[in-house]
Amino acid sequence: MGEISHRNTKPLQVNPFKLSQPMGATLAFLGVDRCMPLMHGAMGCTSFTKVYTTRHFCEPIAIQTTAVTDITAILDGGDTSIVESVKNITAKVSPSLIGLHSTGLTETKGDDLRAVAAQVDFPLVYVNTPDYEGGLESGWALATRALIEQLVEPTEAIDDDKVVLLPHVSLTPIEVEKIKEFIAAFGYDVLALPDLSTSLDGHLGEKQAALSSGGIGVEQIRTLGDAGLVVSVGDSMRACAEALQKKNPFMRHRHFSHLSGLEGTDALAAWLLAETGRECPPEAIVRWRRRLQDAMLDGHFSLGQTRVLALGEPDHLTGLCHSLLEAGAKVTVAISTVASPQLERIQGRRVLVGDLEDAENLCDEYDLIVGNGHCEALAHRLHKALVLRGFPNWEEVGNPLKQDVLYEGGAYFLCECANTAEKLRGHG
Amino acid sequence: MATKPKIKELLEESACSHHKTKKTSCNAPTPGATTGGCAFEGAQISLFPYADAAHLVHGPITCLAASWETRATKTSHTGRDFTQMGFTTDIANTDVVFGGEQKLLNAIDYILQHYSPEAIFVYATCVTALIGDDIDAVCRQAAEKYGLPVVPVHAPGFVGSKNLGSRLGGEAALMHLIGTLEPEFTTPFDINLIGEYNVTGDMWQYSHLLDELGIRILSTLSGDGRVRAIRSAHRARLNVIVCAKSLISLTRKMEEKYGIPHISLSFYGKRDTSAGLLAIAEALGDADLIERTKRLIVREEAALEEKLAPYRALFRGKKAVLNTGGNKTWSIAAALQDLGIEVVATAVKKATEADREKAREVLGEKGVLMMNPGAEQARIIEERGAHLLLAGGRSLYTAIKKGIAFADVNQEKKKSYGGYNGLLNLAEDLKNALENPVFKNVAKRAPWEK
Repeated sequence: MGEISHRNTKPLQVNPFKLSQPMGATLAFLGVDRCMPLMHGAMGCTSFTKVYTTRHFCEPIAIQTTAVTDITAILDGGDTSIVESVKNITAKVSPSLIGLHSTGLTETKGDDLRAVAAQVDFPLVYVNTPDYEGGLESGWALATRALIEQLVEPTEAIDDDKVVLLPHVSLTPIEVEKIKEFIAAFGYDVLALPDLSTSLDGHLGEKQAALSSGGIGVEQIRTLGDAGLVVSVGDSMRACAEALQKKNPFMRHRHFSHLSGLEGTDALAAWLLAETGRECPPEAIVRWRRRLQDAMLDGHFSLGQTRVLALGEPDHLTGLCHSLLEAGAKVTVAISTVASPQLERIQGRRVLVGDLEDAENLCDEYDLIVGNGHCEALAHRLHKALVLRGFPNWEEVGNPLKQDVLYEGGAYFLCECANTAEKLRGHG
Repeated sequence: MATKPKIKELLEESACSHHKTKKTSCNAPTPGATTGGCAFEGAQISLFPYADAAHLVHGPITCLAASWETRATKTSHTGRDFTQMGFTTDIANTDVVFGGEQKLLNAIDYILQHYSPEAIFVYATCVTALIGDDIDAVCRQAAEKYGLPVVPVHAPGFVGSKNLGSRLGGEAALMHLIGTLEPEFTTPFDINLIGEYNVTGDMWQYSHLLDELGIRILSTLSGDGRVRAIRSAHRARLNVIVCAKSLISLTRKMEEKYGIPHISLSFYGKRDTSAGLLAIAEALGDADLIERTKRLIVREEAALEEKLAPYRALFRGKKAVLNTGGNKTWSIAAALQDLGIEVVATAVKKATEADREKAREVLGEKGVLMMNPGAEQARIIEERGAHLLLAGGRSLYTAIKKGIAFADVNQEKKKSYGGYNGLLNLAEDLKNALENPVFKNVAKRAPWEK
């Protein structure tokens, strides 16, 4: 275990890569079919989020704002802006759901979302997501929990073939799809909540999306209660699984901190074998495990002499580090956006909560950077190798198609890291 | 020290052309039916290009985390480029409850100790404005302690639109910077460039021409800007507003306070660039300068025509629909016409009344001014037989559906389309769009689709 400092002692953030709770909640609502995320705050929060996600996913993003002004900030308890927003949204489009989430502004003025939501005669899920608390990951988790608590119907019936997957915010659309397929290969029907794998996976839609185009259906969410199993991935999603279990006392739960690398994927495979009583997984999975083993061996020559800086949301960071450490890379610095018990699991030399200034100050300690798009300038300035991962990434296209999890993604990820490190060494 | 700017005054700008017909320029946004940025964003846009000043955002993480490193405001500053850095107090729950002034003060200390900027801009945001942090007092205290400008920027998001925010940014510069330093020397041809943010290096497409004519850019607000320069802006002979109308209040006030006249122009396209250069020379009122400018325009236009010749044949008879906002509704339209492309429609939904008038002038009577481009553009493409759609990324689907070429002209563009040389960049991008088979190939049906 390395040296862990969870507290950022600086009075400010310099070059932050942390993102906000409302943005995380927006993303979660975009994983629901025909949903309109409605951010309760001033226009800017929504506009920033829209531009950010549009550029990352290279897709049109549906989102609306309650457009709080200086006057409504003082005089309105949220009632007028929210009720008016719903009226204006539904006059133009017919969403299956409105995902109402707050911001720092509306939390500070103390709007009671629950009370206002009760006045709205339209399918709506509300969630409190002040941006002076938590970050992207917790915003996504809070919205998911709200979807469960406010939509899923309680039941005592159980469908043993049905699995609910609760992915953390940093799993890309294709990663969610691959995890769904992995579990489905054992004979289950898998539903993900939220499900970006069918909404923001980079498919060419029929028209400019006025609402989210794809994702889990609202009716499917309502009936999630009869699933025999719930699988949560990432510690931020644990509370969501517990909320779902409250809807049905007979539902069983299996939690994974991450599904990255050999050990992480083995845990999922072993559990699925035990559940199904099968001796061996489907052949494709067996072959991908061998390919990952081979990639670990092929990559270890390079990775073994590579010192890595990894940055990310806690759940994502834990998986990335685990995968790299397993293949012999030296994770000398791991920086998380916010504190999380997950960080205790990272076997890096130095694990901290911080910003890119911290990364810059520690620049003598690493050769390869694994982090989001803001790391491009950092890597360029410091002449480091770079593998772009996480949100946002405006430097590259194809973000929804990047996969690092399970045996398959792990193999691709290690090869990319080894090749990138080698290229810099070769030309450095 | 100056007090907070009066927002009501800024909303009723007497120098705006719509002032006679409409009481306010920035109507309140409609909840649930609004897109566009907030005042904070506008203030940042107007001041961010000062690369030697640190920009400290006093608020929760949203405001800065989603706004730093988003704009390609190029700078020639040789030190650390603060336009590509983000500083925020990232206030937490406890700050909301107990106030964030001490944290702000500590953050300013930290920046000055670690980065030694020429100045610090401190931006209020919705939350810190609502909890009542006195950023004026904190800035005053820090300015006295360190002996350099620490400028409070009062543009929390909820006060209004991006446009208003830019004005508030301009007000901050006017109250705290302009007139606080004397230039080392002056010339009869000193000008300030106002509202040019040097996105993708637009300013550098024409600044060398001004230089050649002996016109000195004394200061800018704020493209490739320097804090020392803007502090001495009050000694300029002329204020030149480039494209953006948002800083017209600032130039009016500078006229009243320092007697500096202003003109407004655009450097997009051949005709506008030439007209702009001449307008500056004429406003400076020197016969010899005007003569030299005319000669330079003849030379530059001839050189441009030669380089454009290969594109002319390709663009002959081509029609375009333009869906963008603000001054781009007409400035890019004029640039397209310079390339020999007919502009059949332009969107005026997000334009001011002055911009709409100008768009009508540029497009002529036959041109369509789209008030609801999202719904109208597909029909117009069909009716007029357009070959090209220039818009933001969201309109890509319309282009694919109609099987015509598409060019992205939104703020994230990587190349400059400004000045004479920028027109060549635009021509090259449009050529690539028109010749790219992807629009036709992507529209092909799958074997299983009928």
